[in-house]
Amino acid sequence: MQWDNTTLFSDDNPADRAFREEVRAWIAANYPKELCDRPLRIDPPELKPWHRKLYERGWIAPHWPKSAGGMGATLTQQIILFEEMSRVGAPTPYPHGLSFIGPLIIEAGTPEQKAEHLPGILTGDVTWCQGYSEPGSGSDLASLSTSAVLDGDSFVVNGHKVWTTNGHFADWMFALVRTDREAKPRHAGITMLLIDLKSSGITVRPIQTIRGDSEFAEEFFVDVRVPKENMLGSLNGGWQVANKLLGSERFTTGHPRNAAVLLNKARRVAEYSGAARDPAFLHRLALLEIDLLAFSAFYRHAASLHANGKAPASMAPVIKIAGGELGQQASELLVDAAGPLGGSAADIMIGNVAFNPAADLFEMRRVTVGSGTVEIQRNIIAKRVLNLPS
Amino acid sequence: MDLLLNDEQVLLRDAAAKLGASRGGSRRARALRDAGTEIDAAAWAEIIKAGWLSALVCEKDDGLGLGMFDLALALEETGKQIVMAPLVEVAAAIWAVTTATGAGHPARARIESKIVVPATSLPGQRYDNATGVILDPKSSALSGSVSFVPFGASADLFLVDATAGRETVLCLVPLHAAGLGISTTPNVDGSTSSTLTFSRLTVAGDEIIARSDAAAAAVMAIQEILVLGTAVELLGVAQAVLDMTIGYTKLREQFGKLIGSFQALQHRMVDCYVDAELNRSLLYKVLSAWDEDRSHPAMVSAVKARVGKGALKTVRAALQLHGAIGYTDEHDIGIYYKRAVALAAKYGNEITHVGRFSDLTLPAQRAAE
Repeated sequence: MQWDNTTLFSDDNPADRAFREEVRAWIAANYPKELCDRPLRIDPPELKPWHRKLYERGWIAPHWPKSAGGMGATLTQQIILFEEMSRVGAPTPYPHGLSFIGPLIIEAGTPEQKAEHLPGILTGDVTWCQGYSEPGSGSDLASLSTSAVLDGDSFVVNGHKVWTTNGHFADWMFALVRTDREAKPRHAGITMLLIDLKSSGITVRPIQTIRGDSEFAEEFFVDVRVPKENMLGSLNGGWQVANKLLGSERFTTGHPRNAAVLLNKARRVAEYSGAARDPAFLHRLALLEIDLLAFSAFYRHAASLHANGKAPASMAPVIKIAGGELGQQASELLVDAAGPLGGSAADIMIGNVAFNPAADLFEMRRVTVGSGTVEIQRNIIAKRVLNLPS
Repeated sequence: MDLLLNDEQVLLRDAAAKLGASRGGSRRARALRDAGTEIDAAAWAEIIKAGWLSALVCEKDDGLGLGMFDLALALEETGKQIVMAPLVEVAAAIWAVTTATGAGHPARARIESKIVVPATSLPGQRYDNATGVILDPKSSALSGSVSFVPFGASADLFLVDATAGRETVLCLVPLHAAGLGISTTPNVDGSTSSTLTFSRLTVAGDEIIARSDAAAAAVMAIQEILVLGTAVELLGVAQAVLDMTIGYTKLREQFGKLIGSFQALQHRMVDCYVDAELNRSLLYKVLSAWDEDRSHPAMVSAVKARVGKGALKTVRAALQLHGAIGYTDEHDIGIYYKRAVALAAKYGNEITHVGRFSDLTLPAQRAAE
């Protein structure tokens, strides 16, 4: 029996297996070969034709309800779509529009907001970014200070957002801003605004990452006027709106696929470098494959609990901690698999496939920091699940 | 984490938890260890009464017709309470004998209400200096030895695999058979490990349960049941110890604060919790696959390696977080620590199973060498 670490504990029922076949066949005929298995990041403009193709097939927003233009798919079907795209090394669309702000607008938006924003998210014509972090507010997000003051028909926004993925490509930003300085607790004074980044008073500056690309940017806001109608949810109710995003969105971003891809790269590179003949390498590979098996089991089990409305509070933080740290360890093994080439800045060509272990290593540093560090996730489990004292 | 159990499964788990609460616990485990007794007679009687020993046997053969998933629900609870009894071993042996023989086979009657323990081993199992057992087809006599057999001091019968020429033979050997030598050493948790030595021990025709491919398949399945069942007990140990430790840090004060409020300690407990959650999912997913005959053999080794490692990590953290009291024999943490050490070593430790996993999943690389 062949060992395949990409389909561990997959589809339990015939309908899901049939859906997987359908997806696999369509992807084989349509996937963008030029974008597959690229060692460096793909910026949003390059992704647009692939996004459009998925939109035209009706598969761009599996998790959205049909009434909003989505598929109304089950969580398992969503996972299958994601897995089949990743299986051929095809990129998946960025989540900021489709998975982050889209579902929030569907849930909390006005009819006008839905009509204005949802179509552009579906077609991929409009790129979104998330404006949460600030220079002084990282893990302690509720301390954020970018201010929005109501003046007639609009908010006047002043402040500084940072670590904004795709900020320099985005047309729109969904941002948490402070609308009450005196509020206690502090998160009760925060509002969610949808901000057109072409508004005057906004300066966007890309930031080069440790990996060598510009994944994110920072934005400076000086007296930026944002129409009152662009408030999502209620005044000072932004924290509650943002916290609605704790469900199925976690499933695609935390998928075990990320670690499986890195381990399979490590295997290829090790065969090339000779590390595959080293028992110490094989032992480390086996340990991580076993961790991947356990994480896949948890992930699949959590997905079925989620589908039954029984997902425990610990689900999202456990996915974040276990999946993130496993991905990091896999990237470290990949560098070691390359032996003396582990420090190479240039791509390693094996056949006609390019590998860049160091780039993967650096990229994976992000996953234990972004959207809540793993230390914050541990604090959440300690407090809310284990009920430990503070 | 919720396992989406049906009503019968919940009943089974609750019954095992009740048995553990009344017939288990570290006090009983410590007393048994001090008395040199490896089976808790009262707990064993209740396990027999509950019918779990025939859990894996299908209903037409008067079993409960359950799978490893269901048996595991009971084993995790008895594991939590360190119930000292050969539940996995006897359930595996009864399943193997019943599956391999037809109705009316004398072997079925011979094992009834008996403690029958597998003395089988996987080919190539490491650390085994014993010679293995050979059956001479002419004289029908067993020679050789097999090591690391649990409950050797208490068993009524052993289920032994031997090689006869090129074929595997599975046979029953009663405790008092002429030519059987048993040498037993104690483990840290009060359990034992025995080496069985066979000196031209004659096997009667009706003591042979299976031959050839059927015997080899039975030996593999027995071994997988033992490995998986032991892993379930280890998960129970880890969960119990984590719960005890969380409870202790909510009571113990130092520097004028509950020590459970310190982040360094919280994160250590959270890591054990994350491990237990992943391991529980892993175990139950693999057990479901095993019951439906669609598990990869490497998965069984993955389970034992990872759950054993997690249990040892948890008992280490527990001892550390309890401070000096955890180092005393009087405190329960020590009993659980020893239980985890003994179970993690039993039927292959982490290194053994990671190696086996590697061998089973990376055949291409090995062949290329």
